[in-house]
Amino acid sequence: MATLREPLVEHFGKSWQAEATVVAAAVDRASRRAAFAFGDGQIRLHDLESGEIASLAAHGDGAPLCLAQDVGREGFLSGGDDGRLVRIDAKGEASEVLKVQGKWIEHVASHAEAGLVALGVAKQAILLGPKGERRLDHPSSVGGLAFAPQGKRLAVAHYGGVSLWWTASEGSAKVLPWKGSHVAVSYSPDGKHVMTGMQDGELHGWRLADGQDMRMSGYPAKPLSLDWVGKPPYLASSGSEAIILWPFTGKDGPMGKPPLEIGQGGGALVTMVAAHPTISVVAAGFENGLVIVADVVSRRTITAKNPGEGRISALIWSPDGRFLLIGSEEGYTGIFDQKASVAVT
Amino acid sequence: MSTQMPVTVLTGYLGAGKTTLLNRILTEPHGKKFAVIVNEFGEIGIDNQLVVGADEEIFEMNNGCVCCTVRGDLIRILGGLMKRKGKFDAIIVETTGLADPAPVAQTFFADEDVKRQTKLDAVVTVVDAKHVIERLADKHGHEAADQIGFADVIILNKTDLASEAELAAVEKAIRRINAFAPIHRAERAQVPVDALLDRGAFDLQRILKANPHFLEIDDDHHHHHEHATSFSFQLDKPINLERFQSWMQQVSTIIGTGLLRSKGILDVAGSDKRYVFHGVRMQLQGDVGKPWAQGEQRISQLVFIGRGLDPEALKAGFEACIA
Repeated sequence: MATLREPLVEHFGKSWQAEATVVAAAVDRASRRAAFAFGDGQIRLHDLESGEIASLAAHGDGAPLCLAQDVGREGFLSGGDDGRLVRIDAKGEASEVLKVQGKWIEHVASHAEAGLVALGVAKQAILLGPKGERRLDHPSSVGGLAFAPQGKRLAVAHYGGVSLWWTASEGSAKVLPWKGSHVAVSYSPDGKHVMTGMQDGELHGWRLADGQDMRMSGYPAKPLSLDWVGKPPYLASSGSEAIILWPFTGKDGPMGKPPLEIGQGGGALVTMVAAHPTISVVAAGFENGLVIVADVVSRRTITAKNPGEGRISALIWSPDGRFLLIGSEEGYTGIFDQKASVAVT
Repeated sequence: MSTQMPVTVLTGYLGAGKTTLLNRILTEPHGKKFAVIVNEFGEIGIDNQLVVGADEEIFEMNNGCVCCTVRGDLIRILGGLMKRKGKFDAIIVETTGLADPAPVAQTFFADEDVKRQTKLDAVVTVVDAKHVIERLADKHGHEAADQIGFADVIILNKTDLASEAELAAVEKAIRRINAFAPIHRAERAQVPVDALLDRGAFDLQRILKANPHFLEIDDDHHHHHEHATSFSFQLDKPINLERFQSWMQQVSTIIGTGLLRSKGILDVAGSDKRYVFHGVRMQLQGDVGKPWAQGEQRISQLVFIGRGLDPEALKAGFEACIA
């Protein structure tokens, strides 16, 4: 990658400028189409092969608050402040899946093998699957959702901890308690740990086998973006002036070990991290608009997008690892095509 | 696009007229669009506005300060609304009748995303002219007094239901709790929108402009310990800023949740500019303000609103900060 020309998006990609904030970005499971959701209500679809672009107002006068790939190979799911969950199918057509009166759908996650969709709606998580719909109650608003790797469990972050629900059977949740407000949640790829980002600028985690707590503090901002990179994995996190990567090796995971810090120097905070799906590479977006791509093994970084155009608010790789999607609070969107870069170098 | 969205917090005891005031703000032809965060749906008779329901979730921060509570639902809703910025000009937050205004106000100082995208413009408290005296004496008197103590603007509503003598007594009772917020008398919450919005009550530079006669008040020091009261102090000798700041930290730690608001304009030794600060409970913010004019009398002024304040000890502490 060292011979690549920087910034990557300028040389091997495309960018667009809109007025509205980019709320979220997603790529379907087939890596065929990308979607950007905007604060003005628009959802823009990009055919990654042909470059064709289409726009739709999936939430009427409302706005999307979250976006995810659908359970199937193609299509997306979008939740909005109109209380609607909208499915955007392979043809790019929108249809309503569910409507919650007077509430916002703030979180959406899906699991292909288990055929499940989970929504965060105020204090409830709604689980939609082959067996129908379940509404899961929590003591406070849902801060984040994550399926376990096999889809057998759903982790829901809230004030005071995380609730773990079995997805295939009824019954109450197992609560992993920890004082404070948990605003992001992620399952480790081996399913052995659940990690949360907290309101107070720290990460919390539990080893599920014995409930052992883990606490990583000292973040200057809320670590809202979490992702797992490499094998054995590092947990990459936002909320600091570098990508903070915690090694999950050995029995005790990151406990007692210092984190790896990559990409520091600019003084700006990392707002988004996105792990490459196949190689030990992680992308990070900053509050000043900079986006870097970092190799966790060599610790080298390259610039994907120069600073400017607002705080990075969306960052994601396509499932095949070929495309990197970037979105900013000030309406910038960019797509880097790794194949185009290989063709040049 | 980096400008912060102003937020007005509307408090007031049950039945004081908050909803009437809110409907008035939303229907007056001022050409502004508002996003409104309400505690109960259905009371607002407006369709063409962004109206969002809140859950009043009070969260403690894990920063070792027990009284530092924030509204988790507000963090969430303000974040969601800011994704739609451009669709409205300001945000209004309505609190429940018994709500403590402190967690709402503290949210604007404690959460980095809320701080970055929005700014608290003013706390507006609606007071029922007919019932407030009774209210202050009943079992929820504490909450009613705190709402008045927190206010930057007070709407004395339902004045048509009270006699002039009753109104004078009510204003005196309000002044005892909060000597500084302007009081607007109103019938059926009829108040010019300018008096409520764009006050900049938490803007340090605006504190200087809005309060040229910061402390010209009747100092009617009633020692009324169960409820909030306000006290002001004035010194004509320069202040040692470091000593002052550490004293303020001490004061806020000792008084704790009893301290509602503080404000000050200081003459700092060795500086030709004013130092301005304000505090909500234990959260203090300060900055250098405009320079003193040639020949202008330099004085330091300080205001505390809270419960269980000891004016003698505060006066002695303030005097110990003289450089």
